[in-house]
Amino acid sequence: MQLLRLDWNILFTILNLIILYLAMRHFLIGPVMGIIEKRRALIDGQLKDARDQKEEAKKLLAQYEEVQKGADEEAAQIIERAKCDAGKAYEMQIAEGREQAKRLVADGQKTVELERAKMVQELEAQIAELALCAAAKILAENHSKETDRMLYERFLTKAGERHDADGA
Amino acid sequence: MEELDCKTAFTIPLFGGIPVAESVVVTWIIMAALTIAAAVLVRGLTVEGAGKKQLALELVIGGLYDFFRELLGRDGKRYIPYLITVGIYIAVSNMIGLFGMKSPTKDVGVTGALALMSIVLIEYAGIHKKGPKNFLKSFAEPIPIMLPMNILELFIRPLSLCMRLFGNILGAFVIMELLKIVAPLLVPVPFSLYFDLFDGFIQAYVFVFLTSLFIRESIE
Repeated sequence: MQLLRLDWNILFTILNLIILYLAMRHFLIGPVMGIIEKRRALIDGQLKDARDQKEEAKKLLAQYEEVQKGADEEAAQIIERAKCDAGKAYEMQIAEGREQAKRLVADGQKTVELERAKMVQELEAQIAELALCAAAKILAENHSKETDRMLYERFLTKAGERHDADGA
Repeated sequence: MEELDCKTAFTIPLFGGIPVAESVVVTWIIMAALTIAAAVLVRGLTVEGAGKKQLALELVIGGLYDFFRELLGRDGKRYIPYLITVGIYIAVSNMIGLFGMKSPTKDVGVTGALALMSIVLIEYAGIHKKGPKNFLKSFAEPIPIMLPMNILELFIRPLSLCMRLFGNILGAFVIMELLKIVAPLLVPVPFSLYFDLFDGFIQAYVFVFLTSLFIRESIE
């Protein structure tokens, strides 16, 4: 009976164990852990990709927002400038209009004055004619030296007054 | 009582005849079966879209791997494949009684070899991690008076590993054989479930668990 048997077979078992270890490592543990490791690497890579893309998207968004802000500012500037230009143009037009109006008024005044001067001249001519007519009538009716002189004096005085009043 | 014998399967006609024990032959059968099973199972493994077979395989191997990694810590990663191998081997050996073969672990030569390899691995791990000088110094830790204890531990640890496994499997084997003599029909089934499956698994677990604990201790 060999209940406790310690002999060569310990060596055999050790050899067996070493061979089994190499076989298991090569056929079972290596491949399976390799697959698990590869999958982990894949998942990690995908997670990293996702993170990178998120980062990129954030950057793009920031850029876009900045651009939009710039555009907003530019738009505000353009509007401001347009307002400014419009205001200037408006004032310029108003000034022009005012000047024109002034000129028109001045022209009108001049014309009126010229007309009046002409009218005065005409009136004077008519008056002179009338005076001559009257004088001729008087001369024809009543020829005295005294009346002649009186008439003539009076006429002169009147005409002179008018002339003086014209300020000519 | 004949069943208790560790029979010689055959004798190599060299140096006056080297007897090869039955346990070694059964171990060869186990090795062949495990290797073929592994080679068949890992065929067609894919990174994406794993099938049920692959998922189960990954669950078992990955689970064992994580279990040992937690026990050993980061520095003990290189010893994990050996521990997984030994765990599978002991578990299969303990349960092979179900197939009518004698468990190799019933042979004290096999458990002795396993324990011998464990202690070699434990001390090798210590030397590898600490360097020879610090490794020798570690025998006088935590205080120099512990030196004889630490040296004794070198022998006690493998002896306890060896005898625990051997005793459990032998005891289960003896009880099963006696039961089969007393009540050969149906009665041995629940006992076989306990002694062959449950106890076999527990003993495999205890063996690799203790070995990895000792490795962890020596590399710390």
